[in-house]
Amino acid sequence: MRRTSRRRLLLALLALTLLLMSFDLAGGPGPGLLRSAAGAAFGPLESLVTRSRGGGEASTRGLLDTAQRARRSVEEQQVSRLLAASDLAGSALLPARVVAVGRQSAAGPERVTIDVGSRDGARVDQCVVSADGLVGRVVAVSPWTADVLLLGSADLVVGVRVGATGTLGSVGSGGAGVHRRPAGLLNLEAVQRGTVRDGDPVTTLGSAGGSPFPAGLPVGEVTAVDTARGSLAATGAVRPAVDPTALDVVGVVLSTTRSVPRAAVTGGT
Amino acid sequence: MSRPGPASLVRFTLLLLMAVVSVTTASHAPLVLPDLVLPVVVASALLAGPSRGAMVGLGGGWLVDLLPPGSSVLGSAALMYAAAGLLAGAGRREGQQPFGWVTLVGAASAAVATLGRLVVAALSGGSLDPRAAAVGWVLSAVWCALLVPPLVTLERRFSARRMR
Repeated sequence: MRRTSRRRLLLALLALTLLLMSFDLAGGPGPGLLRSAAGAAFGPLESLVTRSRGGGEASTRGLLDTAQRARRSVEEQQVSRLLAASDLAGSALLPARVVAVGRQSAAGPERVTIDVGSRDGARVDQCVVSADGLVGRVVAVSPWTADVLLLGSADLVVGVRVGATGTLGSVGSGGAGVHRRPAGLLNLEAVQRGTVRDGDPVTTLGSAGGSPFPAGLPVGEVTAVDTARGSLAATGAVRPAVDPTALDVVGVVLSTTRSVPRAAVTGGT
Repeated sequence: MSRPGPASLVRFTLLLLMAVVSVTTASHAPLVLPDLVLPVVVASALLAGPSRGAMVGLGGGWLVDLLPPGSSVLGSAALMYAAAGLLAGAGRREGQQPFGWVTLVGAASAAVATLGRLVVAALSGGSLDPRAAAVGWVLSAVWCALLVPPLVTLERRFSARRMR
C-alpha cells in the first residue's frame, strides 16, 4: 500500500518536472521567477563561500576603492586591468566577481553567477565583459546575485563585424552550425563569402540602443574558414577572446545609451 | 509518506553541501570535475530501492537545477539524477554490500548521468566535448567508489536509530 502511494507520488513529481521543463523551453514566465527565487535563497551562500576562500580580502567593491593603493592581490590587478581596457573607455561598469560556475552541461561552462544583483543596479539583458572582451549577457537577476549566459552557450548569438572590411555576421555556439566545431571554438556565419580570412579580429556589431551588446567589444579571432564547395553560407570558426573556464573579475556594462544630442557637422570645410 | 526524519535532513544537507561545493569550486578550477552530488543519490538508492532512489535523485537534481547559475534547461538535471537513482536502486541487495558491486553500480549511475548530459547538450545545440565527458565519467565513478561505502554506513546508522 505504502509502496504504491510512493510510486504515485514519484510519477506525479516526474510529470511536474517534465511540465516545468517544457515551460522553460517554451520561455514561459514561471521558470524565470523560480530561478530568481532560488538566486535570492542560495546566491548569498555562494558569495559567502567564494569570498571566504578568497583569502579574506574585501569584496570587489572594496577592491575598487583600494585599486589606487599597493597592488597586492591578483583580484586587484584584474580590476585595474578591467578599468584600463581601452574598449570599455567611457562606459559605466559595475565590477563583479564570478562566484559560481555551472558545469552541468557536457559542453563546458554555459552559465555563471556573479556577486552583484538587482540591488546593485544589475538588470536582465545587460552585457558582461572582462578585460579581454565580451563574456556574455545577464539572463536572471536576484537581489544579491545575477546569472550570466556565456558566449558559446546554445542560446546566445551575437551580431559581429569581422576583419578590417567590417563584414557583418553572427557568432554562436560551436555546436549550432552545419559544421560541428571542436570544444572551445565558436561558430561564425558571415553574410558575405570571400572577405573573411584566418586571423581576422571579430568585434561586436552593437545592438540597437547599446543593449544588450555595445559596439566594438572584442569577441575573438577567426581561426578557420570553411572552404567546402557547395556550402551556401560563409562560415568559420572563432576562438573566443575570453577563456570561459578562467573567469574571475568581470564588469557589467550599465549603460552606453547617449543622453546628449549629437552635434551636426558641416562637410567640405 | 512518513514524517521526514533526521536521515532525510542529513541527506538534504549533504546534497546541498555537495551542490554548493561543486559550483563554487568550478569557478576556480579549469579542470574537469567529478559529479559530487551523485554518490549521495547512489548511497540512498542502494539502501532504499528504485522508487525511493528516484525520489532522492529528483530532489537532488532540482537542487542542482535551481542553485545559481542553474542548468540551461530547468529540470534536466532532476530527470537525469532521477534516472541514475532508479538504476542504482535496482542494484539494491539485502545485507552487506560488497565493494565491487557498489563500484559497479556507481560507475553505471555515473554513465547514465554523463549520457544524460550529452543528450541535453546535443538536443539544445551546445558544443560537445566527448573527451571531457569521458574524463568526467571516470572521475565521477572513482568519486562514487570512494564516497558511497561511508555514506551507506551513515544512512544505515540513521535508519537503525529511527527503527529503535
